[in-house]
Amino acid sequence: MLATIVVEDSKCPDPLACRKCLLVCPTRVLGLGTDVGPQKYREIDPEHFIVRGVREQFCTVCMKCVEVCPNGAIQVTVEGGVPA
Amino acid sequence: MCVWCERYGEGHERWYLNPANYARRLYKVRKDEPEAAGAEGNPQAAGGMASMGRAFLEARERGDLETVERMRKQAHDIAWGIHFGQVITQEELEQILDIIYPIGLMTCACRRSMRGLPDEENFTCMGMGPGMYKWERWPDTYRGGVHFLTPDEAKQVLNTLRSRGLVHTLFTFGTPYLAGLCNCDYPDCAAIRTAVDVDVKVLWKGHYIAEVDPDLCNGCGLCVRRCQFKALSFSPSTLKANIDPLQCYGCSLCRDVCKPDAIRLVDRATLPALAEIW
Ligand code: SF4
Ligand code: SF4
Ligand code: SF4
Repeated sequence: MLATIVVEDSKCPDPLACRKCLLVCPTRVLGLGTDVGPQKYREIDPEHFIVRGVREQFCTVCMKCVEVCPNGAIQVTVEGGVPA
Repeated sequence: MCVWCERYGEGHERWYLNPANYARRLYKVRKDEPEAAGAEGNPQAAGGMASMGRAFLEARERGDLETVERMRKQAHDIAWGIHFGQVITQEELEQILDIIYPIGLMTCACRRSMRGLPDEENFTCMGMGPGMYKWERWPDTYRGGVHFLTPDEAKQVLNTLRSRGLVHTLFTFGTPYLAGLCNCDYPDCAAIRTAVDVDVKVLWKGHYIAEVDPDLCNGCGLCVRRCQFKALSFSPSTLKANIDPLQCYGCSLCRDVCKPDAIRLVDRATLPALAEIW
């Protein structure tokens, strides 16, 4: 079953500086990108960086990313429910 | 010889040994292409969150081979036209360093995306050719800035990266314009991941395949951890290293550490069943 990973961007203000979830995931399921694409002549503001699940086929629903996030921004669910 | 050599080699042994493929002329062509003008023509979008997307993963999971193949073909058409890579050997790299100019050391978009690696730890990519003179237009693609290197300096940096275990790859930015010289590993390189994990060829295998001579192999096992493509294993039955030729990308990293010289590279073209396996 493919997990569904939802990140609430408003709770994740500067993922490039934090990056705790990226480092904790054993299989690099998560990816960091921007919601604006490349910007000519401009550095992208931290608030435009986002974390997404991009390789969900490797997500074991271990919940490490959910636990490590200081802001509770990540939700991981899988059909059939998550063990308590 | 791969299809890119046939199309863009122009008499050179490999397409990436043809100096024309690093030239400004092609860079201009790229800029005129409408689809290259947007996000896709830029290294960050391509390297950043490169993935096949949820719909592809779902089709794969439910065994919908028709959809998987259709989406794979779509991905190939886009990647091969705009931005894809190929593995090269150390010997080929040295030949290339003689024909490219300028060379700029820059941060790696994949490791930024995979691990949020800070710029100062992330200088593992090289941009090359006239496009590099305009790097300041894209401050985020080139986060951390660019260090321009002489060919000798570039060679030294590349040797260090290689001894760390990173694979040399070349990338197009508007095929056949070659403008990226990357140093990659699994699982942090988005291209290796996409190629190895879901068989979408944003990274092509190189022109060689490594072979172990079992008579020379002393079973030290040092080569095994060099392989970033899951091609090398150690056989507890024979106590020798084993290379899966179907999985080998021909990067030659395993050969670097083999003391008794038991590993050699053979040209893919000499193995009929592998000649078209890229
Ligand atoms: S639940 Fe575990 S495997 Fe899935 S994305 Fe989070 S850390 Fe990675
Ligand atoms: S490095 Fe050479 S000798 Fe050692 S296991 Fe590999 S092939 Fe054999
Ligand atoms: S077997 Fe050797 S040459 Fe082949 S991909 Fe692995 S490290 Fe590279």
